[in-house]
Amino acid sequence: MIQVRGIHKSFDGKPVLKGIDMDLNECETTVILGPSGQGKTVLIKSLVRLIRPDAGRILIDGEDIFTLPLKRFRTLQNSMAFVFQANALFDFLNVRDNLSLFMRMHRRMSHAEIESAVKSAIQFVGLGSSVLDKYPEELSGGMQKRVAIARAILKDPRVIFYDEPTVGLDEGNVKKVIELIGRLKEEVCATSVIVTHDIPLMQQVADKVALLKQGEIMFMGPRQDITSEMLHTLYVMGEANEP
Amino acid sequence: MIEKLGFRVIGFFRTVWEVFLLFLNTLKAFPSVWFYRRQILDQLHVFSVNTLPIAAVIAVFVGLGAMIQGTYQSSALVPRTFTINVIFKSTILELCPIVLSLVLAGKLGASLAAEIGSMKISEQIDALQTLSLDPIGFLILPRIFAGLIMLPVITIFANFIALFTVFFVATVMTQWVSAPEFISGMQLNFRVFELYFGNIIKPAVFGFWIALIGSYFGMKTHGGALGVGKTSTNAVVVSAILIVLFDYYLGAFLL
Repeated sequence: MIQVRGIHKSFDGKPVLKGIDMDLNECETTVILGPSGQGKTVLIKSLVRLIRPDAGRILIDGEDIFTLPLKRFRTLQNSMAFVFQANALFDFLNVRDNLSLFMRMHRRMSHAEIESAVKSAIQFVGLGSSVLDKYPEELSGGMQKRVAIARAILKDPRVIFYDEPTVGLDEGNVKKVIELIGRLKEEVCATSVIVTHDIPLMQQVADKVALLKQGEIMFMGPRQDITSEMLHTLYVMGEANEP
Repeated sequence: MIEKLGFRVIGFFRTVWEVFLLFLNTLKAFPSVWFYRRQILDQLHVFSVNTLPIAAVIAVFVGLGAMIQGTYQSSALVPRTFTINVIFKSTILELCPIVLSLVLAGKLGASLAAEIGSMKISEQIDALQTLSLDPIGFLILPRIFAGLIMLPVITIFANFIALFTVFFVATVMTQWVSAPEFISGMQLNFRVFELYFGNIIKPAVFGFWIALIGSYFGMKTHGGALGVGKTSTNAVVVSAILIVLFDYYLGAFLL
């Protein structure tokens, strides 16, 4: 479904991604695992055309997203959702407007239909309708994360990208987020791409894992094939090798 | 030293080029005006309702200041209708538009730069893109639209208040001139174009710069809260310089 071929990216002459190749399949949860500063966020943002790589191609359903005309890409983008590390909820909109923005702008839906979709999404993530009139700043970090996931769900996506979904959350909220990722895969067969440094998260949700070390894929394969030596090399040796 | 100067010159021209590109991209987003109508209405509200009280206060004192200066500097030999004419023209052509625009560059320019800047650093602009929304159409087009429309509206309102203040003080409170003298003073050498110039052309140009420069610096923000602070300061300083510069050139070419 998504093919990544030879992605290179540098910032100020410093290489961040050095020839990434990977295949992401439908209805599969792929976790890109690695410590901080290895290029995980750059990679996941490249997958949705937020960052343009210096070289390489990203194909979604066989189409290179960087050569597609914007209009065609927007159509493709409508079937993808992104959950940001810091949630990126619009702070000038309340939760209801945050959730309904995409539908209001892109879907021909009545006000009642939008309201009903918003309420179902907020219930799906385990929040009550009372949060709909609140602004993001009035919510806890865990609640914001769940609202961000609800916003993603409302796009009715085929692929959901998560950038460090458990960062900064307490244990209870981490559990809820993990449960939501699992439910989305089971109930709507969403393809998930998760970048994280969180090994327990990887162990609980991943079908396939890519280990990213200093801008290169060190290993890619089923979660069961990951060994503790690999994780040791990735984290202990990886950090020791950092300048 | 020379190297530093060279970098600054290159940086300056790069900024000018980037502002120009942002303007072109905003023009490209113009056909989406109807699509972003709700954001445009929101910005029209921000640019108007929230600034009218400030505009009213400024207008009253601009009018009073112009009157004090006019009466102080005119000699006894100058007919009072001439003095009223000078006060009238200096107020609507120069003082109200420029003082108001400079204050609004501080208020609106800084706030929109900070707003877009904090959206940038908290990935909200990326989030817009992932929702298939064009950040330029969603954020910048409405602000430029609001600047172009609302600055003239606010200036018309302010000019009216300033002139009414001058009229009230000159004819009722101090009885420096009579009402008919005041009216005939305003009519001296009157050209309708002056009304368009002071009330529409100048404020529209100033409003455009306030919105474009604020948006540009907002989009260029990086580096957390400190970056947002720098962004707001830069937006205000650059908008103020452009307002003063265009104030001169518009007068030189159009009057």
